[in-house]
Amino acid sequence: MSMSHDVDKFRHEAMLYSGWPDFIAGTVPFIREGLQAGEPVLVVESPDKIDILRVALDHDADHVLFANMAEVGANPALIIPAWRDFVELHGAAGKRLRGIGEPIWKGRTADELVECQRHESLLNVAFGNGQPWWLLCPYDVNALDESVIEEARRSHEFVSQGGTARQSEAYRGIEASGGPFDRPLPEPGSAIREMSFGPEDLISVRQLVVRVATDSGLGVARTGDLVTAVNEIATNSLIHGGGKGTIRVWRDITKLTCEVRDAGRYDRPLADRERPQPRLSEPRGLWLANQFCDLLQIRTFPDGTVVRAHMRRDPNHNLHVLPDAKPTAD
Amino acid sequence: MGIADRGDWVGEGFRIEDVVAELGDGPVYVDKQLVVTRTFAPVGLRFAGEIDMTNSHAVVRSLTTAFPTTGDPHLDLAALIFCDISGIRALVDAAEGLGAERHLLLHGLPHQIEKVIRVTGWSDLPSLVLCSCEVAQR
Repeated sequence: MSMSHDVDKFRHEAMLYSGWPDFIAGTVPFIREGLQAGEPVLVVESPDKIDILRVALDHDADHVLFANMAEVGANPALIIPAWRDFVELHGAAGKRLRGIGEPIWKGRTADELVECQRHESLLNVAFGNGQPWWLLCPYDVNALDESVIEEARRSHEFVSQGGTARQSEAYRGIEASGGPFDRPLPEPGSAIREMSFGPEDLISVRQLVVRVATDSGLGVARTGDLVTAVNEIATNSLIHGGGKGTIRVWRDITKLTCEVRDAGRYDRPLADRERPQPRLSEPRGLWLANQFCDLLQIRTFPDGTVVRAHMRRDPNHNLHVLPDAKPTAD
Repeated sequence: MGIADRGDWVGEGFRIEDVVAELGDGPVYVDKQLVVTRTFAPVGLRFAGEIDMTNSHAVVRSLTTAFPTTGDPHLDLAALIFCDISGIRALVDAAEGLGAERHLLLHGLPHQIEKVIRVTGWSDLPSLVLCSCEVAQR
């Protein structure tokens, strides 16, 4: 692999791997080279991959920062803020850094997968014009669909496989990476509660969410979280989305979903994942919503914006996070 | 409750007669989802109900007009059922607007609202003090 590649800007590279040895061969030299150059290294991976990397790196592991992707990235919109923290904390004065992050694994739900793919694109917007650092994103080719790999080629400027890195011809570029996200959302299959709301109806919106969340067994704390998230999303509709909106609420076996639809245009692709400065009165509604629900989906269409907030009904019965994170055998 | 029942001196050096003379008695604000009243021991405001974008402007106004000009005002938030980010913003701005060495003391903060204040990082502001104690009738 062209490990000695000079990184003079953000380098977003997908690493396609097949089995444990390939994963190790792609990541360990990448980490070691960073350490030798004095670069801070953060690895955000599944706990079992972190374990194996610690063994493979031996004493070098002491100089690497590790974080559990299942925690950091359960909601993929929280991954960019985590990388932002890493770059700001450890990359003072433009110091180069390295990261490894594997946000996509086989156990991701369909909704999570789409949001992870959007996240991969938005990384280009968040860091593409900033200081130089190198982010390597492992993709398990044995476990993931070919369509997922194809999308990785579009969201990463570089793709490496078997030790060779190439510029990706399919890469969509920074500007398109932040373009309006208009991928259709699947229609709910279950019964829907729906209401239109204007400025005087926010309290009714909250009451609707409390009622359905309580019926769904969400528990007091998580009901409070969902109400906080949905209230901010609905407030956004009132302020930025034409002064009114429509909320729909439904549930399936695993989760409760609240959808807010309005006539506004959502044109700040990072608004829901850039942490606002405490002392500035920046808009922070969608950012806050991301902190308080399990998954947020934002879509902008020519006729308006749709935001869905998802909450797992049983937080302990986590269907999505790493049941199947081990690379499949060759 | 008469003035005599409240004691002559309350809070950090406020004289009840002075406070009432300066600010008046009775509810500071009422709408269909929120009631704001004065408290005298300690000196401050009590919020009951729900704060969102429809009435957070009233919170800003209550906070800026109902406080004495010295000392640390107290807010009794135990009966606050909901407070959105614009309402919390109003508390933060009021705290920041008090000036050096003064603090806004939040009592009875419901768990969900405290969580939002912590997530936004506003809990780190020195002017905003989250009191875990019940509202003390001193």
